[in-house]
Amino acid sequence: MSLSSLVPLIGISDVVIGLSLGSRLFLIAVGLSLIFGVLGVLNFAHGGFYMLGAYVTLAVVSNVVDNFWVAAVVGALAVGVVGAAIEFSAIRRLYERADSDLDQLIVTFGFVLVIHETVRFVWGSGSYSIDPPDVFNFSVTFGGSTFNAYRLALIGLAVAVLVGLWLFITRTYFGSLVRGTSSDREMAAMLGVDVPRLYTGVFFLGSVLAGLGGALSAPLQSTSPALGDQVIIDAFIVVVIGGLGSMSGAFVGAMLIGMMQSLGPQFISAGSIAIPFLAMVIVLLIRPEGLFGGIGE
Amino acid sequence: MVTGNGEAGNKYNRNDDVKAGSESRAPVGRRRFLQAAGAGTAVALAGCSGGGGGDDGPVTLGAAYILSGFASLYGEEAERGIEFAQSEINDNGGIDGREVEVLTRDTEASGDTAIQQIRSLVQEDNVDGLFGLDSSGVAQAVAPQISQLQIPFMITHAATPFVTSPQGEHEDSVGNEYVFRDSNSLAQDIYGAARVAEELDATEWATIGPDYAFGYETWDYFQAYCDGLGVDAEFTAEQFPALATSDYTPFISSILDADPDAVLTPLWGADLTTFVGQAEDAGWFDQIDHTLFSVGMGTDLPSDGSPLPEGEYASTRYDPFVPDTETNNSFREAYYEEYGTLPTYNAEGAYRALHLYKEAIESAGGTDPSALVDEFTGMEHSGPVGEYQFSETNQATVASIWGTVTYDDEWGSNVLDPVDRYDAGPDVLSEALGDSDLPTGI
Repeated sequence: MSLSSLVPLIGISDVVIGLSLGSRLFLIAVGLSLIFGVLGVLNFAHGGFYMLGAYVTLAVVSNVVDNFWVAAVVGALAVGVVGAAIEFSAIRRLYERADSDLDQLIVTFGFVLVIHETVRFVWGSGSYSIDPPDVFNFSVTFGGSTFNAYRLALIGLAVAVLVGLWLFITRTYFGSLVRGTSSDREMAAMLGVDVPRLYTGVFFLGSVLAGLGGALSAPLQSTSPALGDQVIIDAFIVVVIGGLGSMSGAFVGAMLIGMMQSLGPQFISAGSIAIPFLAMVIVLLIRPEGLFGGIGE
Repeated sequence: MVTGNGEAGNKYNRNDDVKAGSESRAPVGRRRFLQAAGAGTAVALAGCSGGGGGDDGPVTLGAAYILSGFASLYGEEAERGIEFAQSEINDNGGIDGREVEVLTRDTEASGDTAIQQIRSLVQEDNVDGLFGLDSSGVAQAVAPQISQLQIPFMITHAATPFVTSPQGEHEDSVGNEYVFRDSNSLAQDIYGAARVAEELDATEWATIGPDYAFGYETWDYFQAYCDGLGVDAEFTAEQFPALATSDYTPFISSILDADPDAVLTPLWGADLTTFVGQAEDAGWFDQIDHTLFSVGMGTDLPSDGSPLPEGEYASTRYDPFVPDTETNNSFREAYYEEYGTLPTYNAEGAYRALHLYKEAIESAGGTDPSALVDEFTGMEHSGPVGEYQFSETNQATVASIWGTVTYDDEWGSNVLDPVDRYDAGPDVLSEALGDSDLPTGI
């Protein structure tokens, strides 16, 4: 099959689907990247946070208040609190250790299991789904293909989060503390920055973003305890491709991977799941610091 | 609306049967050792002749199903069938006067876990016989182990034809004298799909199935049958997403772009529920003329009220209304009264396994494994599913059942109406497979 005969197969809906998959990945990857960029912690439990955000949102919508947006905010904040508690109680104790990286990996991986089993205990191991919020719950037909309007909303929300985060980091006092601390922690501490509190704050923010990602993605996917394991791998790929610690890198990386996930099945019938891995290998070989490389950017 | 098929929380630890503690060890003299060895040998010999639990204690059977994860509802349905058969048997004099007990374990849809659980059932719990299995991949891994353990295994759902295809017939064949199946196989089921395809005004066909043996085998058999039956079909697109995919949209989009007339899908469990919801959102059922769900009447979809779209085609391994026999009707009514849902095929398959063991043990006069294997071999039996016989390869000669999905208000569930039963015996399948080298598995 020649390339020209393949190109027409790619429709507008494939692009919209790819960008919406990318938006979901961005929301989880940007928090992962932020936490790594500032704290230097590779948080394996981030996928668990994403999953937890989806579950809390589902639980709030079905039991407490029948409003998706309220539930999503509650879900995101609840995950933020869980994240902050984990940082405060466990991860904080590891920063000064000699083998800190390895210990952090093991501890955060431990929390992957704890979150996974807790979710299984509370909600069971089946899967749940939820309708998109009414205002966006309609089909858009474009160029002969159909997709749910909520996908467009998710893309818009991801862009809004990118802009909001950028303004927050570059234009606010807290943001300048974050930037300063990520480039030189000891200097920031000497200048009077309460680094431990700042770290907890950043971990909270990163966790909120993961929870928000899970919450906002819930209408587009089935939610099961396996969700976190699937998404964390993709998020790591995004962060490696985009450049660890870079927000714009996370955005571009996420959109690239989203498009690969969307278009991959057009070209191969099985194993398209491997395409992002291949892309990661290529980026690592050619530009090991990532497309937007540089921690702290 | 939130829909879910989650199971209740604390259901994971099924291994709650009590295990004997290890005894404290004292120095052992030669004489005592010989005495103990002699006694042990005597017990072992008694075990060989009389079965694990002796002739007065209960008959203990071991079952292995998926009780957690994306297909946990299959295990729950099987547990209902087990419970139902167990009380029916025990309330009516048991098996030759002995109670029947069933120890059910979770395979977690993993071959390795299933093998561990089955070994533990045989070696620690000394079960008299085994049954169950929900996944083709798991069955493929388990079958060779069963031949080593030398104990009968009655598969009640897992469908791969290769477990009832004698080892050596095909490179994937793992069938052996100890493994039987009371439900229909993929080879029988997909024969029916090809018969449906024969009648449909559709030439371009596609598939979307899980990325493991079951997904690929379904598509291979379908193409072979269409070829063998002379169905005017082209096979234009195929997608095999990983098991437990949470978002099928890219795969759905790819199939829709190829624009086939009809699609055969063997997606199952919660994956099927996820797929159907996302396919509806993408306009699938407006664009694709016919969708054939080969595991459509499994468990979750018919019973939770948010089922397969009406008018599409689905198959089942057992239909609660057909055959219209006294046995089937009374089973359906009694089951509905007990559980408030129609019996699914997984419930019926498990239910029948207990009755098969009852008949075999009573006829053999005990639970000696090789005697049970002899009893099952070629056995004629009837149950809610109808009358059938075990073939030379230990596969039940049950029909292939396909029909149109129709919601039935009376039962609050999807049913197949109209429904067709296709005879799927060895000769029929062999002829329909034509020149293909795929085994009939029967």
